Amino acid sequence: MKAQYINSFYKAVLDVFRLMLDINPEREELTVVDDMIAGNEANVMIGITGDLAGSVLFGFTKDMTLEMVKIMSGMEMKKLDSFVSSALGEVVNIISGNAVTNLSKEGYTCDISPPQVIIGENRSISMATEKALTLPIKTEIGKFEINISVRENQ
Amino acid sequence: MMWKEKYKIGVELIDGQHRELFRRVSDFVKTVQSEDKWDEKLSKVKETLEFMKAYVITHFDDEEAYQKEIGYPGYERHRQIHQRFKDEVQKYAEKFQEESYSEETVQEFGGKLMAWLINHVAGEDQKIGDFQNRGGSV
Repeated sequence: MKAQYINSFYKAVLDVFRLMLDINPEREELTVVDDMIAGNEANVMIGITGDLAGSVLFGFTKDMTLEMVKIMSGMEMKKLDSFVSSALGEVVNIISGNAVTNLSKEGYTCDISPPQVIIGENRSISMATEKALTLPIKTEIGKFEINISVRENQ
Repeated sequence: MMWKEKYKIGVELIDGQHRELFRRVSDFVKTVQSEDKWDEKLSKVKETLEFMKAYVITHFDDEEAYQKEIGYPGYERHRQIHQRFKDEVQKYAEKFQEESYSEETVQEFGGKLMAWLINHVAGEDQKIGDFQNRGGSV
């Protein structure tokens, strides 16, 4: 798997976080994992089709999710309800849409499927048959990660 | 949901409509997130939804007319983004009818609407202002 896939997503995270949340994220060290597990409190999965095929899983803590929605709404959020998870899903949808635009500049034409939000720790959904890359991202309101597992369609 | 000065594109009509949209969506979020019983807030929810449905169309039409007027090159792309959003709103409107305005679906709609609006106004709409500020050249 090539670094440019994850870079397209990282660049999209930077742009969307700055634009929507006024936050500057910072990337940490990329690691290789054997499979993808939705092991965080708030997970959002996106499917990719086209020149690249596979899935991308975003994992957030409850606190960070509530803080993100608080920044957007200007209101204190207490629980991971439908409002909060839907807002989070839409933010990931926007990030992924931007990532697809970035990928097209690299010569890959892709599409994304609507986000699937999975709330609750240890809802293990192992979906990768291949290895995945995990990129941890640090922000002033917490840390989250992007797991990506895609292959090139010949 | 806070209106920020950085969202302004420098066109009075559009900025005024954006501000109104933010205010209405913000009220809507406050209502759906309040601790009151769902039955009690339902009339306010329905009222806001009706207003939004009409206002979003007026605003999109005005914004698209303005883009045409200044010869904005991203017009067609922008019009498609608006259309996709209108389709999405329509789908929710039908779901609300089918489910008699279930709290779950209205909350889901609220979250999506808020995030979509912030991104659209802070991102895509800014390009219209940038184009105009450059004297209308690509």
